[in-house]
Amino acid sequence: MNERQMLLKKIGTYRFTITDIDMFLDTHPGDTEMLALRNRYAQELRPLIEQFESRFGPLTKRENQTNTWSWVKDPWPWDMEA
Amino acid sequence: MFVYEKQLQYPVRIKNTNPALAKLIITQYGGPDGELGASTRYLSQRFTMPLPELKATLTDVGTEELNHLEMIGAIVYQLTRDLSEEQIREAGFDQYFVEHTAGVYPASASGMPFNAAALAVKGDPITDLHESLAAEQKARTTYDNILRFCDDPDVIDPIRFLRAREVVHYQRFGENLRLLTDKLDSKNFYAFNPSYDKRCFKK
Repeated sequence: MNERQMLLKKIGTYRFTITDIDMFLDTHPGDTEMLALRNRYAQELRPLIEQFESRFGPLTKRENQTNTWSWVKDPWPWDMEA
Repeated sequence: MFVYEKQLQYPVRIKNTNPALAKLIITQYGGPDGELGASTRYLSQRFTMPLPELKATLTDVGTEELNHLEMIGAIVYQLTRDLSEEQIREAGFDQYFVEHTAGVYPASASGMPFNAAALAVKGDPITDLHESLAAEQKARTTYDNILRFCDDPDVIDPIRFLRAREVVHYQRFGENLRLLTDKLDSKNFYAFNPSYDKRCFKK
């Protein structure tokens, strides 16, 4: 795994954890402990996404800080290099 | 509204091609218990759900199924890249190949194109949740069957991830059913449609 893939894996791990907790909260919306855990992970995830996007390009189209449309850049998620 | 994130939910990196296996795995792309049907089922059933928790669960599970659809597409794509004509013939991939080349088309393992007849939206939340619970188990069984034919760890790893998600979704839908019946008149849960016959809710 290269540096890009390692950072992406870290981001994916956080994202998956949050997705899983979200679904738990859908049926347990009053669970404050789980909600706090969710928010902690979301907070820890944010700088990782910023770090990734500044080095390797955008993960979503919410922001485009470069002067070309970097969204189109390879690799796409189904590529071996992704 | 949906926003695309340029990342698979779980990484797929398959070093060795295997078109025979791709022919089986594609059933989770467009087959009767596949991810396309799953996302369509949940994202359609959610509209008439009577409780906010149920709307949330079906929205979130239906969205996650779109991630899974993309993962299955990536697995099929990587298993069938750079094939020679000889590899295609030997793997029995020729029938698929003449119609789609190495394109990823939503079809079942037996070649049947995606068909919405394999899913149901009844507009009755008890019926629809039972349909969804069964769907998760059918997908889990299909992943178990796929795993019987896998010996490549690069494939086994993401398929196991997908299989585990079916079990979690089953749990959530079970909780949905309980949340709903808790709000209904316990004398008879099953004689009414809670999305239409409002009198079946507890007074």
